[in-house]
Amino acid sequence: MKRKALSVLLSAAMTAALLSGCGGSSGAASESAPAASESAPAASEAAPAASEAAPAADAASEAGADAAAQATGGADASGKTFAIVVKSAGNAYNTKEEEGFKEVIEAAGGTVVVKEPEAATVDAQITAIQSLISQGVDSISVAANDENALQATLEEAMAAGIKVNGFDSKTNADSRMTFVNQAGTQEVGQTLLDAVYDLTGGEGQYAILSATSQATNQNAWIDAMKSIAEGDSKYSKLELVEVAYGDDEPQKSTDQTQALLSKYPDLKVICAPTTVGVSAAAKVLQDQGSSVKLTGLGLPSEMAEYIGADDAHSCPYMFLWNPIDLGRLAAYSAIALVNGDITGAVGDTFTAGDMGDYTLTDAGDNGSEIILGPPFKFDPDNIAEWKDVY
Amino acid sequence: MAGKSGRSIKAEQEVSFKKLILSWEGALFILIILLNIFNASISPSYTVTNILREMPKYLAEILMMFPMAYILVLGDIDISVGSIVCLCATMTCFISNAGAPAIVTYIGCLAVGLICGMVNGAVATRFPELPSMIITLGTQIIYRGIAEISLGSGGSVSFNDTKKIMPLSKKIGPVPVVLFVVIIAAVIFTVVLAKCTFGRELYAIGSNKLSAFYAGVEVQKCRFIAYSLLGLMAGACGLFLTAYMYGANTTTGQGFEMEVIAMCVFGGIATTGGKGNLIGAIIAGAIIVLLRIALGQINLNSQLILVIIGAMLIIAVLIPGIQANLKARRKLKQAR
Amino acid sequence: MEQKSLIKKITGSREALLFCILIALGVVVTILNPTFFSPTNIAQIFRNNAIIMIMAVGMFCVMLTAGIDISITSTLAFSGMSIGMLQKHDIVQSTLLMFLIAMGIGCIAGFLNGLIISKGKVAPIICTMGFMYIWRGMAYVVGNSSWASGEDVSQFAKFGKDGTAGPYIILIVVYGLFFVLMKWTKFGRKIYAVGSNAEAARVSGINVDNVLISAYTIMGLMAGLAGALSVSIYASAQPNMQYGKEMDVIAACVIGGVSMSGGRGTIVGTFLGALILAIVAKALPLVNVPSIAQNTVKGVIILVVVIVNVVSQRMIDKQNLERREM
Repeated sequence: MKRKALSVLLSAAMTAALLSGCGGSSGAASESAPAASESAPAASEAAPAASEAAPAADAASEAGADAAAQATGGADASGKTFAIVVKSAGNAYNTKEEEGFKEVIEAAGGTVVVKEPEAATVDAQITAIQSLISQGVDSISVAANDENALQATLEEAMAAGIKVNGFDSKTNADSRMTFVNQAGTQEVGQTLLDAVYDLTGGEGQYAILSATSQATNQNAWIDAMKSIAEGDSKYSKLELVEVAYGDDEPQKSTDQTQALLSKYPDLKVICAPTTVGVSAAAKVLQDQGSSVKLTGLGLPSEMAEYIGADDAHSCPYMFLWNPIDLGRLAAYSAIALVNGDITGAVGDTFTAGDMGDYTLTDAGDNGSEIILGPPFKFDPDNIAEWKDVY
Repeated sequence: MAGKSGRSIKAEQEVSFKKLILSWEGALFILIILLNIFNASISPSYTVTNILREMPKYLAEILMMFPMAYILVLGDIDISVGSIVCLCATMTCFISNAGAPAIVTYIGCLAVGLICGMVNGAVATRFPELPSMIITLGTQIIYRGIAEISLGSGGSVSFNDTKKIMPLSKKIGPVPVVLFVVIIAAVIFTVVLAKCTFGRELYAIGSNKLSAFYAGVEVQKCRFIAYSLLGLMAGACGLFLTAYMYGANTTTGQGFEMEVIAMCVFGGIATTGGKGNLIGAIIAGAIIVLLRIALGQINLNSQLILVIIGAMLIIAVLIPGIQANLKARRKLKQAR
Repeated sequence: MEQKSLIKKITGSREALLFCILIALGVVVTILNPTFFSPTNIAQIFRNNAIIMIMAVGMFCVMLTAGIDISITSTLAFSGMSIGMLQKHDIVQSTLLMFLIAMGIGCIAGFLNGLIISKGKVAPIICTMGFMYIWRGMAYVVGNSSWASGEDVSQFAKFGKDGTAGPYIILIVVYGLFFVLMKWTKFGRKIYAVGSNAEAARVSGINVDNVLISAYTIMGLMAGLAGALSVSIYASAQPNMQYGKEMDVIAACVIGGVSMSGGRGTIVGTFLGALILAIVAKALPLVNVPSIAQNTVKGVIILVVVIVNVVSQRMIDKQNLERREM
């Protein structure tokens, strides 16, 4: 009997909990809803005010007083909130992107929200973006962990009036307005293949050490390398022996590099188009004093120790773009989207402050993209200067 | 049985308001009310509409919490569920892309989950000496491995035709479909655990396997059913996840097993078996989800959120021990 | 009195069985790829897996007490990141001091685990799960979204550089020490006693709580040591380092015949278990198993080995029973 009474009580408590839980939060909702609707007109009132203020600011900058407005090329983002969602937390490359993004938005008077998912998974990014939709931000810039998997969430964001642009790692055309590409895919493929061609002396075996098997960027670059090599007889004497995956883990990358060395005694070059893989491979090759040479995409601060022209260094030169600039360009394009300067259509142009003018081009997937520029070459001459930058 | 089976069988105890409040479920209930007030005060975006919109991914996870509670009550553990979710999500995409109609896709996904669960169950019952943790550690690697192999070098797959999967991510008003599924599952699983013979047998096995066996409980059959159920619900979780992601990749479901186990344990279910009930687990699940949503809305560092949840978990499991300690001391005093 | 035949000795001892599996594995791989059995390769196997092997020793102690610790790689990341950051900001540069700091952090983490598990009567998996989240989070927090890279830790990395003896010496010292400790000292036997039957141990005057605390502290110490070693070997400290590898450590112990219900297992078995996993990881890329299939193969091997263990144990039990009946 008593047991039954207890369960009845418990279930009553549960119902009460549910009701009061709903009641409590719906109360909060109805309280905050008017607040939100109050703030919405306020914001829209602020917007014209801001655009009214803009010419004034221009006048001020003409007078040489407002350096910030000059630096941002007159881009104005005051009163708006811009969110950036990177691939994962605790990655120096991502941090540099955030840095650039913050610098531009804050100079333009906007508010920045940085979301670093706890792991490099789609699940974590979906959670982060959903939370941003709740907060009602004005734009979201996202470096996607999977090309297609964010579509449903990002479509929801765009339906809520949020401007969405991708950067660093592409989302599909349906889930973005435009994409800030660090460098053209073909261009990266061509650059890497040319480096391999140069280091092998035109013929011989080379291997690729990639990140995870589903890394969108790496797969696109590797595919580009393969198709260029097939299409041009210049590269016919190069032989790609294997694409190994180090999963962007130092230990696995080390294992994979060593396996490549013992499996292919005639290997001449390893190309690692990923920042973790390239530093792990560089360490293995340099420690062993191997004659195999390395190139790829790496952070200068990570690779400074391994870059050198002599045999004591494993990597003669490598490439990367400036992640800070990538973050800045993402910020400028986000401001342009929010202010309506661009809509994401191919052919739109906008001014990215001191970075100059950019035009949206066809990304080849029914969407548009903005290309930052060609990859930058790091060699023994300039590495010392760049290693302190990023 | 009455002694160790704990919180749910308190037939001999007085039912008083004080007891109810002092019970784990009562404490959690008060906590969730306080939490809602706290959340609403820190985040202006903490509204019902927003919560309902952010919830579905967590709700899919909670689907696995119910059968996981069964497994924990048995004194077993299953750390392969995250990988089952990944495999199911992957297979759903393949089945759908092969041109199967929606209903076949759904059933196929659940079937894959069920099979994975049955394999776990078969190994666990065939080799009862083996700890369930090590079996499911092996299958955890294998299931995700199979998904990796079938996904190939791209590592991810998406639907050709998202219309088939759309009904699952639909909303009725502001309420997502998955919430109804969770409520139905919650009622069924709670009633079965608390009221049906099968549920009581789980407690018996968890308290003392040998005496349960001698009392005529088909121990291995019950374990097999529990593992299969967990596989099935992991399939359901995978199905809903694909509806939100329009596809699957090799990291889908990564780390879910620990999150689900944490919810159960926070709800007062002991991993040593025979203790706890689903009402506590459901409230605990709600607490963790609501807290994560609110902390996410104020843009707290995602790693700090994990630190907070970890600390909450440890404090929660410490309290019963401290309580018992205090009680023992009081008794000692009285005896003197 | 009676002389056991060689065959009985082999079937009777799990370590011997493991050793046979190991040899068979080595032979198969060498046939498939002759380059496998070379001094450099063997040295690399030990060097690259020193971290797992060292943590396996700690896990062995914990599992002997019927416990488990899934927070170890988080502890590793936290201690590794801490010393990484100390070097990045040029606060400490002495290699020895680095090791001591990392081990100290590990000790504290392990001690906390032990304290909560023994005094608070909390299930080990739950307590360590909580700390798994906490220490991993702390690793990100101390790093403040940055990591220590090659140049920051270049001095420290010399210790673990390919071709130096450092990692091997640590490995030998740890295993040698624990072989003696677990086999011939009072402390070692106490751990076995607590794991076999905690109640009986308590009645016979062993302070169970203290034994538990020291077992977890040893585990923490090993995790801290592994953290320092990992920074040194890979010349980088990242907050997500060795993520998920705790399962490899547990698998190594279980393959090595350490019972999860406590009281059974040896340090030699643990070593062989870790070595089998290490060889598998090394051999799979060499014998042209496509990289995406490597995880599956690893999982199958873990399951097969533990099932073989169970089956052979059943056979031994049956034999013993038959002998008794005679």
